[in-house]
Amino acid sequence: MYYLIILLVYAAVDVIACLGLSQQFGVAGVTNFGFIIFQAAGAYVAAVLALPPDTANGGFQTYIGGWHLPFPLPWIGAAAAGGLLALPFTFLVGRRLRGDFAAVGLLVTAVLLNLLVMNYRPLFNGDAGVAVVPAPLTGGMFVGTSSSYQWVFAAGGLIVAGAVFWFVRRITESPYGRTLRAMRDNDKIADSVGKNLLVLRTGALVTGGAIAGLSGAILVSFIGVWSPGEWSYAETIVLFTAVIIGGAGNHVGAVLGAVLVPVGFEEITRFISNNNPNLPPNLLPSLQWVAIGVLIAVFLWLRPQGILPERRRVIALPDIGPARPAGAEMTHARSDAARRRSSGTQILQATDVSKQFGGVHAVAGVSLSVDRGTLTGLIGPNGAGKSTLLSLLAGTERVSGGQIRYQGADVTALPAYRRARAGLVRTFQLASEFKRLTVLENLLSAAPGNRGDSFAGAVAGKRYWRGDEARAIARAQALIEDFGLTRHANDYAGELSGGQRRLVEIMRALMTEPDMLLLDEPMAGVHPELARRIGHALRRLCEGGMTILMVEHELAIMDEFCDPVIVMAEGSILAQGTMGELRNRSDVVEAYLVG
Amino acid sequence: MSAEAQADVQAALQADGITAGYGGDPVIRDVSVRAEPGTVVSVVGPNGSGKSTLLKALTGVLSVSAGRVQVQGRDVTRLAPEEMARAGVGYVPQVDDVFAPLTVRENLEIGGYLLHRRELAPRIEHVLAVFPRLGTMLSRPAGKLSGGERKMLAMGRVLMLQPAVFLLDEPTANLAPAIAATLLNDHVRQLAARGAAVLIVEQRARAVLAISDLTYVMGGGELRMEGTPAELSASPDFVASFLGGHRSAG
Amino acid sequence: MSLLLASVGFGLITSAVLAVAAVGFTLQFAVTDVLNLAFAAVMTAGAFTAYLVNEQGYSVWVALVAAMAASSLLSVALNYFVYSPFQRRGAAPITLVIVSLGMALIIEFGIAAFAGGVGVSYQMSQGRTITLGGLVLTTVQLTIIGISVVVMAGVHALLRYTRLGKAMRATAANRMLARSSGIRAGRVIATTWAVTGALCGLAGTVFAIDIGTFDSSSTDIFLILILAAVFLGGPGNAYAAMLGALVIGLITEVSAVYIQADYKYAVAFVVLLAMLAVRPSGLLGVKT
Repeated sequence: MYYLIILLVYAAVDVIACLGLSQQFGVAGVTNFGFIIFQAAGAYVAAVLALPPDTANGGFQTYIGGWHLPFPLPWIGAAAAGGLLALPFTFLVGRRLRGDFAAVGLLVTAVLLNLLVMNYRPLFNGDAGVAVVPAPLTGGMFVGTSSSYQWVFAAGGLIVAGAVFWFVRRITESPYGRTLRAMRDNDKIADSVGKNLLVLRTGALVTGGAIAGLSGAILVSFIGVWSPGEWSYAETIVLFTAVIIGGAGNHVGAVLGAVLVPVGFEEITRFISNNNPNLPPNLLPSLQWVAIGVLIAVFLWLRPQGILPERRRVIALPDIGPARPAGAEMTHARSDAARRRSSGTQILQATDVSKQFGGVHAVAGVSLSVDRGTLTGLIGPNGAGKSTLLSLLAGTERVSGGQIRYQGADVTALPAYRRARAGLVRTFQLASEFKRLTVLENLLSAAPGNRGDSFAGAVAGKRYWRGDEARAIARAQALIEDFGLTRHANDYAGELSGGQRRLVEIMRALMTEPDMLLLDEPMAGVHPELARRIGHALRRLCEGGMTILMVEHELAIMDEFCDPVIVMAEGSILAQGTMGELRNRSDVVEAYLVG
Repeated sequence: MSAEAQADVQAALQADGITAGYGGDPVIRDVSVRAEPGTVVSVVGPNGSGKSTLLKALTGVLSVSAGRVQVQGRDVTRLAPEEMARAGVGYVPQVDDVFAPLTVRENLEIGGYLLHRRELAPRIEHVLAVFPRLGTMLSRPAGKLSGGERKMLAMGRVLMLQPAVFLLDEPTANLAPAIAATLLNDHVRQLAARGAAVLIVEQRARAVLAISDLTYVMGGGELRMEGTPAELSASPDFVASFLGGHRSAG
Repeated sequence: MSLLLASVGFGLITSAVLAVAAVGFTLQFAVTDVLNLAFAAVMTAGAFTAYLVNEQGYSVWVALVAAMAASSLLSVALNYFVYSPFQRRGAAPITLVIVSLGMALIIEFGIAAFAGGVGVSYQMSQGRTITLGGLVLTTVQLTIIGISVVVMAGVHALLRYTRLGKAMRATAANRMLARSSGIRAGRVIATTWAVTGALCGLAGTVFAIDIGTFDSSSTDIFLILILAAVFLGGPGNAYAAMLGALVIGLITEVSAVYIQADYKYAVAFVVLLAMLAVRPSGLLGVKT
């Protein structure tokens, strides 16, 4: 009977830990190889909050705290500790550090902290660890409590696990969760649609840390002791294996993984050792680790998505009425605030902008201004600096000199995601959709002003953000209709053809309710017929008040849709006019032929 | 032997009906080019016309889905890049064209990787005779060279093996016009003068036309025109294919 | 004063062992772009191979050669059967790190399953002690330092003067360009793993000689020292690894004089974290 209780409590603890890790790693894409230290922090804090001062029990251990707080304060403190501990580590995951380097950094931190705690006795009694930790609502340790108490504890643990499951589910199945998954799929693009990566990653670390801390509290209340030996860096690997096998990003998968790996392994080992008492003592634990290593390799090779892969989120789309004039949706969609911002005819101004890489001037002393409501083309031979100029205007690259004014304000120092939020949005040349989000989700991820797109909003629940979400879905649906992709609305964006993915990108940019769009070769690799359809859609947008600046090579598109057209060559602007005018200018012709 | 067969044997490089892409739809379709020894053959065209893709298909970096490539009569269509070097093809890519952390001398030595130890020194002397500037910076890391110097080193590295065919991918990209002119007029012409066939893909159509014996014009993944520089310069379609003046309907 | 000197002595030995390991690790990263976290486990495999040979009555220095051969083979197999296939599939670097951790577990605990948890040591004499101006070292310790110096010189000669070494550097700098120059990159990579695998076995054995008694988990902390040495100078650069090894080895041991000895490794860890946070390309610059 007692054995069953042990099983249930460990299952609860592991499920909670795996849910926290799945949230961090599977949903947000943050690979935290130091995960175990957050569980450890929670366990230690819960212990020293529940324990009496260290002079008690004959003073055989030393530790900080010892305030003898009643339940549930130690557990709450544990979760808080786990969350707070995450904050210093944002320096490793917030930066643009290679994923594998950052992961190694976190692994090293886990080893380092283990070493420090082990040797610095006054903190948590060093190598021996803390002991005699009282169980909740009793004076003594768990082992001494009555059978009914133990059952209640086990049930309580499972209830907490259920609550954590409900909580992470709530977070993940919200617009905020969608943003996390977008960041996981392609952080650069998430940045460009206005997501603050540092805040998001910090949030993921803190949430995972708090959940891990809670699991530590339950564990230490149960076993009554906690020492550095319980939380070596290898324990993180066990949890990662569990999440990978169960299915990263799928919360039921995390539960499954927790049951199969930490719990399942222990039980199989116990079973084997009970039936084979003559085995050398460390053989089975060693083979356990070998098995974990084998499982990692096998699963990552054969089934990296896990037993229960992340589900595709299908959003049922209502039948909208008869086809409206395309573009009409666009005008309605823009908020009043945006219309209020309209002032003056010039929406974007660059003055003497330059950019150098090493000693080379990619862009040298460019000055231009773009009028509101125009569809401007930017052309020029290779190496002329068009893409670089676009990046400077969008904020993806910082200028080496010069000034950029948008809507009358100086935005030269503003980073890309801030400009995006201000209505100046760009697209990219290369594949830049969120592959494991559906077409609809790709669009929804860019919709601004969704109350559910924050941690608090997600916690507040569906009722809070339901309205905003429905409005965003309606807009997205209209855009998808306009661009003819209704059939694929619920398909993963990564599975579409090149031309279709281009459309998704443009639609996603449009969802941000931009006032000005910077398009980087939107027609590249697109069928001529589709290119013209896109051209028409873009022109309709401009007629509705949007401004577009577009880098393109398809000069036929320039002919038909763009006025004015700016020609760049060798880092500066050569001429400006309609395509017809430019063709007659010998300097433009020469630029193209001379290169 | 028929005149055609004779012509095939004479060409250092012969590519027929090349169709290739990066997975998915092909980027270039049914392109055929040839380059004879001692000549400079250029491939020009607007951006997105498939020039670079053609070159990558010829070098084995990209695999062709249809067509045949022959070097000195030998079929090299499906060869890997390391085998292409052994088959007498020297490829200078547009970017990442030198080993940045290695010195100029070491770059040349790698260029001569397939040579016998004894041949290395005289071959390096030979390359330095063609590119004297390199001789003044033998110990400098290649990453610290200026744009023009890097390109010379890239070409010198390839020259170490004295290939029958040089494939140059937009060698003047990112070079100042004066340096680009020297590169084309002096160095590229020299390579051909020494008997190799030089196939050069370029943006700077005017400049490369001046040194070409034969020019191909690509557009939209296909071969649009071919001819001598004189023929092409006189043709109004030539300019149009760059600036899209009159596109055929549809 | 003599305490400081003694710690410098220990530092030199640690640096010597660390240098061999760090150079091997960083070259694997340079040529394959994989952070092989199983490196320490392969060191252990080498150390235990030497132990088995040593148990048969051979001198530990002969066993050393066997260790190098075994680790070399194991490393080549690791790349050929595990890392390369994942890379060909386009796996992200983070996936490869997780896989390498899995390999580390398999190797380290595979050894533990057979060897048991008991510490073992080599049958060998420690030789006489020699006094060099205040430093007191045994001949074995001097031999270790000597081996390390010879290996460093050998690696330098390999990279700078041999055809293979230049091919390795070229492949590490620009694999496609190397292939266009006629280098069979696949063979160069396999050879690199063979050579660095041998270095790994060598490092493992001298490590075991140095600490006296060892078991399957002895090299765990050492991996962190390797990472610290590699990232201090800059990952992918063999000379940076040598420099990093010298610094980390000395810092670690000398710091034990000023702070509590138990914390001496902490200094190395802090250095590693600082480098990752501030300058991941290392003090000596960028790996291309």
